[in-house]
Amino acid sequence: MSGLLGQINPGLLLILVGFAGCLIPIQRVRQALMVGTPVVAIFMLAMADRGTDLATASVLGLDLVLYRVDSLSFIFGLAFLIASFLNAIYALHTDDRLQDGMALAYAGAAVAATFAGDLMTLFVFWEITAVSSVFLILRAGTKAAYQAAMRYLGVQILSGVLLLDGLAYVYKSTGSLSLDAFTSFDQPGAKFIFIAFAIKAAFPFLHNWLQDAYPKATVVGAVVLSAFTTKLAVYAFARMFPGFEILIWIGAVMTVFPVFFAVIENDLRKVLSYSLNNQLGFMICAIGIGTPLALNGAAAHAFAHIIYKGLLFMSMGAVLYRVGTAKASELGGLYKSMPWTTIFCIIGAVSISAFPLFSGFVAKAMTMSAVATEGYVIVWLMLLFASAGVLEHSGIKIPYFTFFSHDSGIRVKEAPFNMLLAMGMAAFICIAIGLPAIGGFGYGWLYGMLPCTVTAPADVCMLSGAEIKPYKPYTVDHVLTQMQLLMLAVLAFMLLKRFGLYPPEKPGTILDTDWVLRKPGYGLFKWAGTVWGKAGPAMTAFAGRIGSRTFDQIEATFSPRGALARGGLTNSMAMWSAVLLGVVMLIVLLAS
Amino acid sequence: MTLPPERDSSGRFVKPEQEAPKPSDEHTHPMAKLLFGWVESPRTPLLLLLLVALIAASLIVVDLFIDRHEYKYTAFAESTGFYAFWGFSAFAIAVLSGWPLGKLLRRDEDYYGEADTKPDDVESDS
Repeated sequence: MSGLLGQINPGLLLILVGFAGCLIPIQRVRQALMVGTPVVAIFMLAMADRGTDLATASVLGLDLVLYRVDSLSFIFGLAFLIASFLNAIYALHTDDRLQDGMALAYAGAAVAATFAGDLMTLFVFWEITAVSSVFLILRAGTKAAYQAAMRYLGVQILSGVLLLDGLAYVYKSTGSLSLDAFTSFDQPGAKFIFIAFAIKAAFPFLHNWLQDAYPKATVVGAVVLSAFTTKLAVYAFARMFPGFEILIWIGAVMTVFPVFFAVIENDLRKVLSYSLNNQLGFMICAIGIGTPLALNGAAAHAFAHIIYKGLLFMSMGAVLYRVGTAKASELGGLYKSMPWTTIFCIIGAVSISAFPLFSGFVAKAMTMSAVATEGYVIVWLMLLFASAGVLEHSGIKIPYFTFFSHDSGIRVKEAPFNMLLAMGMAAFICIAIGLPAIGGFGYGWLYGMLPCTVTAPADVCMLSGAEIKPYKPYTVDHVLTQMQLLMLAVLAFMLLKRFGLYPPEKPGTILDTDWVLRKPGYGLFKWAGTVWGKAGPAMTAFAGRIGSRTFDQIEATFSPRGALARGGLTNSMAMWSAVLLGVVMLIVLLAS
Repeated sequence: MTLPPERDSSGRFVKPEQEAPKPSDEHTHPMAKLLFGWVESPRTPLLLLLLVALIAASLIVVDLFIDRHEYKYTAFAESTGFYAFWGFSAFAIAVLSGWPLGKLLRRDEDYYGEADTKPDDVESDS
């Protein structure tokens, strides 16, 4: 069934069309390509055979596998392609060659990296995601965006360099660049690669680039950014570090701490960025558990998350596009102007909060179940806390303060049709994969694509050795407990609001750990720069003085008019010749 | 002689000054009335609160009659209303921590000299 189309990495096609798109000045032609290419790519992916090297190359003596599909990469790749299609529709109202092209190339790099069959290929596309995505921030055109983009680029390139470092160690010790999972941190290169992935997955203390850059990107850019980089890192972890216990704890911390920042943050796109961090925590935690059920949970969560997080960013983007701000303190009552956007935002919000009948419910359930089965009780309680936290910031805060709350008096037009269309399609997917499986519809479609199914499990599923069992999300127990958790949390919100205990939305900058780098760190650099600026010339002058003094001394001794030239020829010449002869003889004596 | 506030200096009655005018509904989207018209009623918040409280209560009551099965290690979660308790308190803790955290971590918008984050691709008249 695999023709030629089934042997080309669909990501490469996206990258090529993306770069070409930057040169096409006719808006409609370019946009047709941007929307059409992901569709073609999805067909190409559907035609690809699983589990074999579909395209190989030999470069500089390295055997590269450019295209390899298995059930783990398939679900991530497909999610990326669907996201890229939706993003292209969302961007139709703009006429920005660079942004259109780079958005597609960025998506392509993520897809190509997902289907890479060796570390070097992964590294190359890993770096292309960094370089292409930075334009989505730069195009915002503000000074803040420029500075954030430079910080973003620095961090992303650092991740790439560490990956390169790690793969060099791996290649040197094993002679192969295979993507086989590591079994311990003692293996050469494992630590470097782990940190490279950790940066892109926004681990605690390495997370600031995300909340720094995404809210400063363009309206379209933030939507595009939300889908790829971090989920590529999640895929990479699932591929190379399944079952590493440290990931369980890192993931659990990642789900909890962004909750507190999201509560006090005013910029709603930044709230969504914190929320993104929290969702990644669930996936990382599941990968740490590493059983087939957990890996399925991570993959299903990533798929559902790419769609609903995209949808939420789209709705906030639409508000930002019409109103000019996405700050909670300035918004409110927008349902009157943007009722459709309101509906779609609410669908995204209930999906991420994991209400039954929506995608988050069927996806997150597997992670929770796997954590409980393996006996990580504290982690399980942390994830349960974070689930209520998600409801707080993404489920309630985002839609409530934007579209309801007090009427800000802002009256704008509804979002452009193309934005509504993209949001509508994303909302449809959120519901379609969340419904109970009835007649081939519902979550069955998503579950059929999971990495650890009995028919074609990915390599990493074999590692854990556990049996692959089908999971049923719609049990009375599960629906009841989830509804208890969520409805009581909603009740808590209403009571806190009613009694004036809910903290008001205030404008301001919320300090995060990047403060250390951006204030004292930057200050230190600035101080060092000033010191160097002053000390440098002084040191140069000092060195110059020493140099010229030495030269003067040498000249005074050895020049034709110098000390040694004075006096009788025989005196000094005879003595110096004797000394030199002595030295030579000594060396010969010692050397022999 | 001072006049009561509702009369002007020539003794005529005047309407008490209105507070900020309510935003006109002239530009309200037609769908908005249809979908969310009910939100505007002053009784909605209370009714909604009662509705949610009722649902929450019934979820706990139902829990009394259903014999749930948790995993071995999390058997303690089988106790009635465990999830309800955890959801309520987690939410309350997260929100209430916003008060001290806001005081501790909130700085001026221009703290990093990057206050202007309005991207170029927003609508020009916004």
